[in-house]
Amino acid sequence: MLLKIEKIEICYGIIPAVRNLSLEVEEGQIVALVGANGAGKSTTLKALAGVLHPRVGKIFYKDKDITQLSAYRRVPLGIALVPEGRQLFSTLSVKENLRLGAYHSNDKEFKERLKEIYSIFPIIKERENQIAGTLSGGEQQMLSFGRAIISKPKLLLLDEPSLGLAPLIIKEVYKTINTIKMTGITIVLVEQNVKMAMHIANYMYVLEAGELTIQGEPLKLMKDENIKKAYLG
Amino acid sequence: MIKVNYSNKPNTFSGIWIPFGVGLGFLFVVLGIFNLVLDNYILHIITVIGIYIIAATSLNLTNGYTGLFSLGHTGFMLIGAYTSVLLTYKVSLRAAYNLPSLPTLLGGANYQWPFLPALLTGGVIAAIVAMIVGYPVLRLRGHYLAVASLGFMIIVTTMAKGMKSFTRGASGIQVIPHYSNLWNVYIWVAITIFVLWRILQSAPGRAMLAIRESEVSAQSQGINLMKYKLYAFVSGAFFAGIAGGLYAHFTRSIRPYEFSFSMTFFIVIMPIIGGSRNLFGPALGASLLIAMRYLLKPAEEALGVYGLVELIYAALLVSVMLWRPGGILGKESRAK
Amino acid sequence: MYGASYIYQQIFNGIVLGSIYALLALGMALVYGILGLINFAHGALITIGAFCFYFLLFKFNLPFVLAIILTISLGGFVGFLSEAIGYRKLRGGPGLSLLITSLGIYIFIENAIKLLISPQPYAFFNPPFLNRIINSFITFRVIDIFIIITTIVIMICFGLFVKRSKIGIAMRGIAESVETAGLVGINVNQVITWSFVVASAIAALTGFMWGAKYGQISYNMGFMPGVIAFVAVVIGGIGSIPGAVLGGFLIGLIQIFTVGFLPLGWSVYRDAIVFTLLIIVLLIKPMGILGRRESM
Ligand SMILES: Nc1ncnc2c1ncn2[C@@H]1O[C@H](COP(=O)(O)OP(=O)(O)O)[C@@H](O)[C@H]1O
Ligand SMILES: [Mg+2]
Repeated sequence: MLLKIEKIEICYGIIPAVRNLSLEVEEGQIVALVGANGAGKSTTLKALAGVLHPRVGKIFYKDKDITQLSAYRRVPLGIALVPEGRQLFSTLSVKENLRLGAYHSNDKEFKERLKEIYSIFPIIKERENQIAGTLSGGEQQMLSFGRAIISKPKLLLLDEPSLGLAPLIIKEVYKTINTIKMTGITIVLVEQNVKMAMHIANYMYVLEAGELTIQGEPLKLMKDENIKKAYLG
Repeated sequence: MIKVNYSNKPNTFSGIWIPFGVGLGFLFVVLGIFNLVLDNYILHIITVIGIYIIAATSLNLTNGYTGLFSLGHTGFMLIGAYTSVLLTYKVSLRAAYNLPSLPTLLGGANYQWPFLPALLTGGVIAAIVAMIVGYPVLRLRGHYLAVASLGFMIIVTTMAKGMKSFTRGASGIQVIPHYSNLWNVYIWVAITIFVLWRILQSAPGRAMLAIRESEVSAQSQGINLMKYKLYAFVSGAFFAGIAGGLYAHFTRSIRPYEFSFSMTFFIVIMPIIGGSRNLFGPALGASLLIAMRYLLKPAEEALGVYGLVELIYAALLVSVMLWRPGGILGKESRAK
Repeated sequence: MYGASYIYQQIFNGIVLGSIYALLALGMALVYGILGLINFAHGALITIGAFCFYFLLFKFNLPFVLAIILTISLGGFVGFLSEAIGYRKLRGGPGLSLLITSLGIYIFIENAIKLLISPQPYAFFNPPFLNRIINSFITFRVIDIFIIITTIVIMICFGLFVKRSKIGIAMRGIAESVETAGLVGINVNQVITWSFVVASAIAALTGFMWGAKYGQISYNMGFMPGVIAFVAVVIGGIGSIPGAVLGGFLIGLIQIFTVGFLPLGWSVYRDAIVFTLLIIVLLIKPMGILGRRESM
């Protein structure tokens, strides 16, 4: 098991946003975490990335307890987050954004990885010296992927990668997710768009108001009447 | 009979004045006893404490309650000090002290103002200057305001140094009549705290607190930011002017640079250490720091370790900021 | 009214003073960009640098270059300490608590120097080669050239550092968003520490420059240049390092011109004029001359 969450509770101040959540991610899979707006999906991902820390419960990564490890220490272990809304350094250039994604490697390693990233995302290469804030939405999403992948993650956390993008671009993004999966990276995918997630995921968790309600393989869940009613319309 | 006031606004005449009267009476009984049993040196210290209580408490109106961190308070003290001194200065001494170009309006050809009107004029002039300076400067927030108000203080002190015909420049004015004493200083302490308490109870006071919490939401509640910022700044400056006047007529000699950065630092940290969200926090801070100074000064001079007192103040300030951000009287031990 | 030579002399003097302010403003802008802190303690580093160099060179007779290197190192170390002790815990708290703490740290260092070294000013002697006077169209000493050239070199290095190096890029990233910086894997504490170290090391070097140029050092010498450096940051445009440098040179020139061209009585006002300018700039162009909202 690459990742294992045991009964975590995450709070903002004193208000819990996620309660009693347990979840497992097997190596090489795409695990989807879906749910309505405000269900606590981003909060969960932030706890996995180390931006937030659960008050109760534990997070194991490769059987190691990483619950209290801060974000910058998780990146070198192979956990990278593509945050909701991209969160690029909008005043820095594309290349500088990537440099910070590869913060834990030296300049020589960075150059090599940069080539790999450019081969996966050719659009980014063309925009190398452009200020990130001036990229289009789709380009920004690609850069955000690139910035995460350049750190050589084993576990990639994607928070609503399709948010705010045009349908055609969303298709591109999902193609890219598949490509990333092919390179052997395990993915936790957060989506509101359940249909999209179902097509790509190996396993799926549904989060409602901070608690897990349903889980299973997408093919089975697709047949479930309740799910159909609530999420697939 | 004790009347219990259930509304939190004691608006009745007795509701306002009874606490003031009782407090003042109590204060003066205590001071009377002090006057009988303590020696002159200690009474001197207590008087100095009183002057700094006025300065620190009035500064806290902006720095503590309105969230406007000003470093310009001593500029207003300087204005109050010089104004009142120029008004009360003995005519017979003017020529000898080289203060010739004073317009007759200020002192009259051979007239010397009594202390109270001179002191009040000092406060009023400081308030007027605050009005003029505040209008542009109070638009600035946080750090900008801190530096701009510090700039104001530096401008005022250099002007006091430069305008030699009024102020005798860097050499300052000496032989100022000795008008301040334990009693009038503490009457002003009582007035300052009382007025501040009244302001904080009133609508403007609540507006100030709202501005401190968030300018944006204060504005969205329909609070006129500039009006209440000016209200706080100008009221604070008035009492700073009074404190300056009392100070000048107590130490009996003033120089421009007395009112510069050391004194600013000294006054600014009093509310922070005492507790800037408590009406009596600045007074506690002032008492503590000045008592400490008078206790340590002899040691500092005997051992030749100049700077010891300030060193301790600074260490105290940093410790308070790190471990008790609300100050001694602060409720919370950690800032949120 | 004034001869050309006199005017050029004043401009030259303004550039020398402006160099010092610009170097101070550089470090101040870096720290302000990242933490939003006016670091009053920055000025204390000038004093520390001046006294450190004084003792190393004249009391311990170390070679000039070694004394400079040790002075810079001590500055960096004090910057590291002040961040670790004073600021780290308060970051992310109420905005003014950092400022107040930096005031406390300034006063602490100033009075520690007063207590440990002397409440009296010291005369600062230069190594003889820096005092050589060169008399041509304008008159100057070697130290003036030393200051200008060192300033240019530091600025180029600093520019490359911030623009090209990993830590420099990270500094700009943190200035934009601390949270994002953390989640992409930047050790934020370490980078912030570096920014204090770099800014303080440069400030310590300006302490030597100040002493060498003006011949006197004292426990409170750093306050005014420190505050003026911040004014330079604001005038140049908060968030812009080139702006800070420009602001520094501008103030240097203005102060020298105040003394050199205005009637005699005006020289008292050379600091007051700077603050008047500050208030005017803040009112007319709050973003400063080169200020943009976002970037460094
Ligand atoms: N920074 C925050 N402070 C306080 N509450 C927050 C914060 N971020 C999110 N929340 C609350 O936590 C809950 C879960 O939010 P989030 O994880 O962002 O949901 P999702 O990503 O599923 O839309 C929501 O009720 C939201 O209001
Ligand atoms: Mg979300």
